[in-house]
Amino acid sequence: MLRKMALALLLLFIAVGAVMPALAQETIELEAWVAFSDHRYDWAVDTAERFNALYDNINVNMVSVVDYDTIVNNYTLGREDGNYPEIVQLFDAALQFAVDTGWFSFAEEIIAGRDEVLGQAVDFDDIIPVISNYYTVDGVWASVAWNTSTPIMYYNVDMLQAAGIEELPTTWADILDACVALQPMVDDGTISACASWPFSGWFIEQWLAQQNEYMVNNENGRAARATEFNLDTDAYRAIAQFYRDMYSNGYFIFEGQDQWGPTTQNFISGKVAIHMSSSAAARAISEGAAETGFALDTTGMVYNDDAPSGWVGNILGGATMWISNGLSPEAEEAAMAFLLFFSNTENSASWHTASGYVPVRNSSIDLLRNLEPGNEILWDIPSGARVDIEADDWYAAFPNFLTASTQLGNSTVNNATRGSTYGTFQQSRPYYNGLVEEYMLNGGDLDAMIAETNATLTELLQEYNFLFADE
Amino acid sequence: MDEIAYSVNPVVVGLVGGLVGALYFAFLRWQTQVGSLNASLLVGAVCGVAGAMLLTAPLGYCMFGADQKNDDLIVGWIMVALGLLLTLNLGSMLLWRFFRGQRLLPRGDTTPGAFRGRFGALYAAAVLSPTILVLVYFVYLPMFDTLRLSTFLARFGAPRTRFICVSNFSRMLSDLDYHSNLFLSFALSFGIIIITMSLALLIAAMLNQPIKGANIYRTFLIWPYAISPIVAGSIFGLLLGTESGIVNRVLDLVFGVKVPWLVTIPAAQISVVLASVWNVIGFNILFYTAGLQTIPKDLLESASIDGASAWQRFARITFPLLSPFTFFLIVTNTIYAFFDTFGLIFVLTRGGPTESTFTAMYRVYVTGILASDIGKSTAQSLILFLIVVGITIFQFRVGQRRVQYGNY
Repeated sequence: MLRKMALALLLLFIAVGAVMPALAQETIELEAWVAFSDHRYDWAVDTAERFNALYDNINVNMVSVVDYDTIVNNYTLGREDGNYPEIVQLFDAALQFAVDTGWFSFAEEIIAGRDEVLGQAVDFDDIIPVISNYYTVDGVWASVAWNTSTPIMYYNVDMLQAAGIEELPTTWADILDACVALQPMVDDGTISACASWPFSGWFIEQWLAQQNEYMVNNENGRAARATEFNLDTDAYRAIAQFYRDMYSNGYFIFEGQDQWGPTTQNFISGKVAIHMSSSAAARAISEGAAETGFALDTTGMVYNDDAPSGWVGNILGGATMWISNGLSPEAEEAAMAFLLFFSNTENSASWHTASGYVPVRNSSIDLLRNLEPGNEILWDIPSGARVDIEADDWYAAFPNFLTASTQLGNSTVNNATRGSTYGTFQQSRPYYNGLVEEYMLNGGDLDAMIAETNATLTELLQEYNFLFADE
Repeated sequence: MDEIAYSVNPVVVGLVGGLVGALYFAFLRWQTQVGSLNASLLVGAVCGVAGAMLLTAPLGYCMFGADQKNDDLIVGWIMVALGLLLTLNLGSMLLWRFFRGQRLLPRGDTTPGAFRGRFGALYAAAVLSPTILVLVYFVYLPMFDTLRLSTFLARFGAPRTRFICVSNFSRMLSDLDYHSNLFLSFALSFGIIIITMSLALLIAAMLNQPIKGANIYRTFLIWPYAISPIVAGSIFGLLLGTESGIVNRVLDLVFGVKVPWLVTIPAAQISVVLASVWNVIGFNILFYTAGLQTIPKDLLESASIDGASAWQRFARITFPLLSPFTFFLIVTNTIYAFFDTFGLIFVLTRGGPTESTFTAMYRVYVTGILASDIGKSTAQSLILFLIVVGITIFQFRVGQRRVQYGNY
């Protein structure tokens, strides 16, 4: 008797086991990796849930991965052992690598000329051109723009006024002048120093573009595959010298490479008057400034007014969403539909309020300028939900959120401001950033340092090309 | 068959190995005065040739090719030397066991409970096989892969790889940055080991006193070891930030100074050492506490009756009796300091300022994982492996003579 029951149970288990996967296949499970873990991740989870509510058979699951670099590393290692997500957020520096590996299906090819995917409208024309330009590979839309940013300046207006500075600095020379004016406040202990911002390779890339200079040859790798580094330029030297001037005069608090948290803290806690960061920090810095109780104002990223070309434009930064290749047709459709939803007019506008990332659509900006009651766009960080924006015009109420869009809008689009693309981007950043760090801290023979680093980076790039480029 | 041009002919390499082997064995023969000279010379020569070929032949003597750089040649001779080290030591051990009429392999364990009888070996193998399989799959195969990859130009995701002989190694010979990374690894490790072990011994000795709530202290002191190096790095990052760090906040209030802990030399290096010490000290305290409890009280009591001072008791009795623990801790701390601190460095300083905390293991991580440059990275990790194996062998040779195990 007992044996028979055991046998029957066993058979039941086997039967259930055989049917379960068939039932499970009804729902398409999609995993999406994003490089956020703060309120921006909450926003992404909330928006994925909104999407899931629209479809019975699709479930998008957001996974938070440490940061941009780590997400690329984890995805790369995942590719080695076959354990990777359907959707992944990759930052600008990984663009060439993403294309070269052939690991992704391009959005434009999945859409194949349709004007909707599973009911989600496709409207590429609505996307701001400077953004679509950046992520177009050989004329094809590769990935879906989500978080787009650009560096801007954040100023503690109260401190600047106390030091007698009426106009917000817009150039390197203005910054140095402001620091001279602020020095008495440093000396009497009111503030710790004039300025503090993350020491990041991203800013070096931006300042090269502003001066209309390429990072790598073949027009930043945009005209043809880049084969050589291009650090031996006046533009790069000027950046190193600017940092040296800032640091050696004690104007700049250096917290180490890529220390975004501590430097933001220095600014919002009122220890410095000048800060530079991504526009994506606009929300956090606005709230921090309000909490500490000082007036905040922003301008575009300061530029080198000695450069022959003046200010040409800025590169956009941030990341886009890529769809892994080799998915089932249903999964690919679902992933595409999700990304179209994720970046539609309302969501793009809401995302902008949650962070300060630039809205990627013109229609989002229109929406934010003509708000109706009951709009449910503003991301409320404490409650983790969308609430109404009470103003009619978001930008009139929060002008600091417009600075980034204005900067990108005024940028001339050429191959300097489209930014460089080459395979060893991630590997090279610490080198050209480290060189400036070395020169800033210790001085030295800048030409010799540049020659050496340029040679090293060119060698790495050529090794990469040897392994990846078409023969 | 194509004639390959060599700068050093493989035959010459083999002959050099044979000569070295024969000479070394003749020297051993003279030193020990055991066995026949001719047999020593012959076996020595064979071992020498094998040693010279051991690491170079699998790569087809490519490092001795005429088109290779001088540095590749040097790497080739280093590989010959490493091969000789291995075969000559092994060969001489076996030969002299033979000369002395001993079994070639040490006798198996004959204590009760060992696997004996007809199926003893088989049974032992069956019982061991799960462990061995796991080791083979997760340790030895990846290691073999590491060896193979270290001779390639390879990147994750690349459609092809390229065999580049020993270039990954030879480029390290002239890479001054790498040399300073290595030197730094030694320096930081030395600091970490010395400070950790002396502090741990002091704390363990204090814990060994009959104090109220010693168990609670013990738990708290061992706690940091349960924290991963990455988290330890984050904690110290919050403590040591120049402007927003807690330590500087206190220093500023009390003394009116701010120390740029993480962004100046040598403060950054000291910070890394202190954070590592904090992270690993619990482990050391644990072992020293256990060690102190094994020391017989009567020994210390009789010493104190004989008039030995506290310091004498410590130096003459406690410390020598702790030597097995000290030895074990030196070995494990070395491995920790070389291999496990990179996570902490990644969070705390990112190797900065100006690469002043960029250790060799952090270089492996940055090259291999951050930059996907996996060929170079595996070569660097092999160098580290050789160094740590070397240090450990050295420690065993030197240490074991001074270590006193049990039986007081």
